Amino acid sequence: MAGEEVVLKIRRFDPSLDERPRVEAFAVPLKEGMTVLDALIYVKSRLDHGLAVRFSCRMASCGSCGMKIDGRARLACETQISSLPRGAVAVEPMDNFPIVRDLVVDLERFFARHAAAMPGLVRERDPEEQESPTGEYLMAPGELESFVQFTYCIKCGLCSSSCPTASTDALFPGPQALSQAYRFLADPRDEGEERRLERVDAEHGVWRCHFAGTCSAVCPKGVDPALGIQLLKRHVMSARSPFGRKKRRGAPVFPNPNGDLLGQP
Amino acid sequence: MRESTLMQMQYVTAVLAVLLVGVHLLMQGVLVPYGEAVSFQRVLSVYRDAVDGALLEILLVVVLAHGFNGLRTILIEWRQTPSWTRGVNWAVLVAALATMAYGTRTVILAATGQVS
Repeated sequence: MAGEEVVLKIRRFDPSLDERPRVEAFAVPLKEGMTVLDALIYVKSRLDHGLAVRFSCRMASCGSCGMKIDGRARLACETQISSLPRGAVAVEPMDNFPIVRDLVVDLERFFARHAAAMPGLVRERDPEEQESPTGEYLMAPGELESFVQFTYCIKCGLCSSSCPTASTDALFPGPQALSQAYRFLADPRDEGEERRLERVDAEHGVWRCHFAGTCSAVCPKGVDPALGIQLLKRHVMSARSPFGRKKRRGAPVFPNPNGDLLGQP
Repeated sequence: MRESTLMQMQYVTAVLAVLLVGVHLLMQGVLVPYGEAVSFQRVLSVYRDAVDGALLEILLVVVLAHGFNGLRTILIEWRQTPSWTRGVNWAVLVAALATMAYGTRTVILAATGQVS
């Protein structure tokens, strides 16, 4: 390991200056346990301060450092260089997103689609309960299990960057937004079903997923967005059909006998 | 029409098409020898039989509905402007109905002995 180097072949592109992307190679001294993000930080601090790369937590929790490494969408902070094939490592920005500069992509549309999925509990009957909670919504453990994996999404964008439908259909919401829509549709505490269904049951909505499954293959948190989309399709069919099995809606509030949620009597 | 309704139709017509095309292929070469099955008089007799004629008409409608809806899906994924989507929806509906009408006309003419 000592004295060894790894070569990063980084795709560089500044849309305001460059006509087309170029690849630049940087030799980085290899250390045990080095991640691709460590190597990129080395490049940025020692070799080229102008390299644009986005990162924050360095522990696969914030989802900031999504990029394409050796042709596959990954988080740079959890990709050990030793886990990659020997030789130069190709580092590129994520697909399906506009490039801001180098490895930084514009996530504005991605987050707008996440927001369009209404990622929060909608309560029609007691909206004041969300503002001033008096207890807990009752939910069975099995109901939680039906959607809990989708709450682990860190919104890194890797799923949408690897989705073939997202690359061809500019209006497709993408696996992240669709699986989040399912996460709340499956939640018995939620009452926003009709509004969510109107958004996903559209010409460029959930039905355009071809079930390639690449979203699930690249998810760094083990979430299965492809499953979420299939469950969402089933949910839409059941909700629209007079014979379909309907999900329980609007779980009641279980008053906290010890006072409010802050422990005040 | 809602997209989920169209997809429901797509799934139902897919299942029906497998069954009906299966029956059709059985009649066209397995239960009845191929050379005999495609002879002119034999084909006419199939149309004139009430059950077989009805099955042919159902097969026509099912396969056309499935095929044209699939074509519509491909086309609306191809480009994503609202005018394109609207145009594709109408064009495919008109084309499907026109083809169904022409096919139905053939079934009726053959079944009522106006083809000999």
